[in-house]
Amino acid sequence: MADTIVLPNTIQKPPERSGFNRFYRKHRNLIVGLLFISPWIVGFVAFLLYPILYTLQISFTRYSGFGEPVPVGFENYQHMLNDSVFWIAVGNTAFYLALAVPIGVVVAMVLALAMNQPVREVSIYRAILYLPSILPLFALSFVYLALLHPSRGIFNQFLINLGLPNINWLGDPQYSKIALVMLAQFGAGQAALIFLAALKGIPPSFHEAAMLDGASAWRRFWGITLPLMTPVILYDLILGLSLGIQIFTQVFIIFGSDPPGSPANSTMMYVVYLYLNGFRYSQMGYAAALALVLFVVTLILAMLVFRWSRGWVHYEGA
Amino acid sequence: MSNATLHELAGQLRSRRIDRRRFMQGATALGVSGTAISSALRARGAIAQDATTVTFWTTFTDPDLSVIGGMVDTFNEQAEGYQVELVQIPPAQVTDVTQLMTAVRGGTGPDVYLLDRFIVAQRAADGLLQDLTEYGADEAVMSAHLPFARAEATYNGVPFALPSNTDARAIYYNRGALAEAGIEPDELDSSNGPLTWSRIAELANQFNEEGSGGNYSRLGFVPWMNQGWHYTYGFSWGGTFFNADACEVTPDDPAIVEAFQWVQDYCVDLGAQQVQAFGGPTMLPGFPAQEHPFVIGTLGMQVTGDWMIHQLEQYAPDMDYGITFIGVPNEGDESATWAGGWSVVIPEGATNPEPAFEFMSWYAGEPGQRIYTEESAHLPTIAALIEEADLYSENHLFFSQQLLPIAKNRPPLPVGARYWDELTIAWQSNYLGEAEPAAALASVKERVQPDLARFCPIEG
Repeated sequence: MADTIVLPNTIQKPPERSGFNRFYRKHRNLIVGLLFISPWIVGFVAFLLYPILYTLQISFTRYSGFGEPVPVGFENYQHMLNDSVFWIAVGNTAFYLALAVPIGVVVAMVLALAMNQPVREVSIYRAILYLPSILPLFALSFVYLALLHPSRGIFNQFLINLGLPNINWLGDPQYSKIALVMLAQFGAGQAALIFLAALKGIPPSFHEAAMLDGASAWRRFWGITLPLMTPVILYDLILGLSLGIQIFTQVFIIFGSDPPGSPANSTMMYVVYLYLNGFRYSQMGYAAALALVLFVVTLILAMLVFRWSRGWVHYEGA
Repeated sequence: MSNATLHELAGQLRSRRIDRRRFMQGATALGVSGTAISSALRARGAIAQDATTVTFWTTFTDPDLSVIGGMVDTFNEQAEGYQVELVQIPPAQVTDVTQLMTAVRGGTGPDVYLLDRFIVAQRAADGLLQDLTEYGADEAVMSAHLPFARAEATYNGVPFALPSNTDARAIYYNRGALAEAGIEPDELDSSNGPLTWSRIAELANQFNEEGSGGNYSRLGFVPWMNQGWHYTYGFSWGGTFFNADACEVTPDDPAIVEAFQWVQDYCVDLGAQQVQAFGGPTMLPGFPAQEHPFVIGTLGMQVTGDWMIHQLEQYAPDMDYGITFIGVPNEGDESATWAGGWSVVIPEGATNPEPAFEFMSWYAGEPGQRIYTEESAHLPTIAALIEEADLYSENHLFFSQQLLPIAKNRPPLPVGARYWDELTIAWQSNYLGEAEPAAALASVKERVQPDLARFCPIEG
């Protein structure tokens, strides 16, 4: 005969829990986790998700920023196709990206290699090379204005002393975008610092083994350094593209705002045109459509670069 | 107090007297109530302050900022029940009101804003400005102003602004510098009437001098510097920029194309890029006024406005200079100039519109404009003040008596900002020799007219 278990009188059936309590017990970790990151969630919803959805909504309207938006369907998007300034802005921005980003990678790489040299004063050199990167963009822009002054600027004096032509960087539409590409290189110290960290991460034994095999410095750079740097180069490319496509401040400061994009629309960048439509021409609906297109294009560009990177980025241990 | 409560809660949590859930509830309740109380206190503070302060925003910089500051102080001495507070916001170009727009949307806009008058129609069409009729801008108030200024302050027959000053453009010439270069400056005297543009070019060419690096160290005249805008030359050639009957912008008016062509030929003959290198830096942000080529004597003549009288007093008090009419295309033609100016408006969302209007009526009325005219060397829009000769110095009198009666004005359009920008882009392409004048001006029309069409018809 099996023993019968007799429950003591003090143990009673647990009381019925409410629906919320049951839900809470089941998802306790999730709820507590969400509560802890709620400041971020609130920020994300209020300052990112809501503006994106609102932008989407008003991109289908004609809206000055005041009063009631008037629904116009896809009119704003159709208008882009026939808007000659839109295409000028697209062309200028593409030109800037195509030069500023790859040149930026090369300049950052050269700086990183220079900062990695085993000399005693290396920390001083590093500080000097990094210094322009810590200047706020507006301050750097004003310094740049003085450097490129057609008559008194140091840069042009240097060109003249070398016997090269005196270029009107800020007033000649042929050179104004080049001036912006050059300015972008003043910020290369930021990327160079990351590149330097990646250089330090390459085991010295790789180079030592290659040297024993008689590899030259150039061969070691192409065969060891560069392949192992590719994940960092990819990061820099993505960052450079997403920041470069939004170029605004330096254009506004250096080339003035009467009107932005001077001279003769040669520096009319995409975000500058977006700003003009939103805040100067009272076309908030069209500006919203431009912003949405920019968002999608940036997304596609990033995806394409990631896809392309499969062929040339080498991850350690992969 | 909230910190103490929070510490107490944390202490209870550590000693396990309350569980984590109760702690979270207590902390959340504390945070929410703290935020609510502080928000309420801030709101009360703002209301209390707004009851006695009329905020007046301007983008002006010195020397005009100081003049306005003095006017506000004068007004405040006599104001009852409130005070006007002048707030300088970062200077921007005249068509740019980003800060105003965002502040109004955020509920923190000013009660009064100093707005470039030619842009009033656009901002009124946007819904940014309040109709001033309900505050007392009736026929009697508006008819005291010059007709063109009144037209610029009105959109579709409704007054949205009170004109506060005007100006006019003329040619200033540096008598001393021209004489040193062997040019007889008396030929430019306004008593001889306007010179033709070709004669101005001949005189200017005698002054030109090349410096190092292929740039000019001295130029007689740069058509596009300072106030040498598209409108200046378009009006000079007798062009019109807007056809009110057809509700159509007309930048492709043959007279304007001809004006552009003259400017392009002049610049290309001298080397468009070399001329740009000489004058371009003066148009860039932060360029110091005291280093302007006209002030330091390396520019012989320039088109600029009445306010230059004040600037020359400040930066080149010893300069021997003269002022004459804008040039004409042919001998015997009537000279033309154009007038602009500013106005005061009440933006939407203003907290104290009634006292704001009271201040505006003084500021843009006879008492305010009298002070501003005397101290800034600008011109008044109050017709009665134009006649008061003792308000003006000799140079200033030339503007009020000779130029203002013949002055034209930019068309006040609800797409004024876009029209100005597109004309300026075409203007730059033109004087840099980058585009054919007719093609550049045709593209202005192509870009602006579709925007304008949705506001048509526009009432006068």
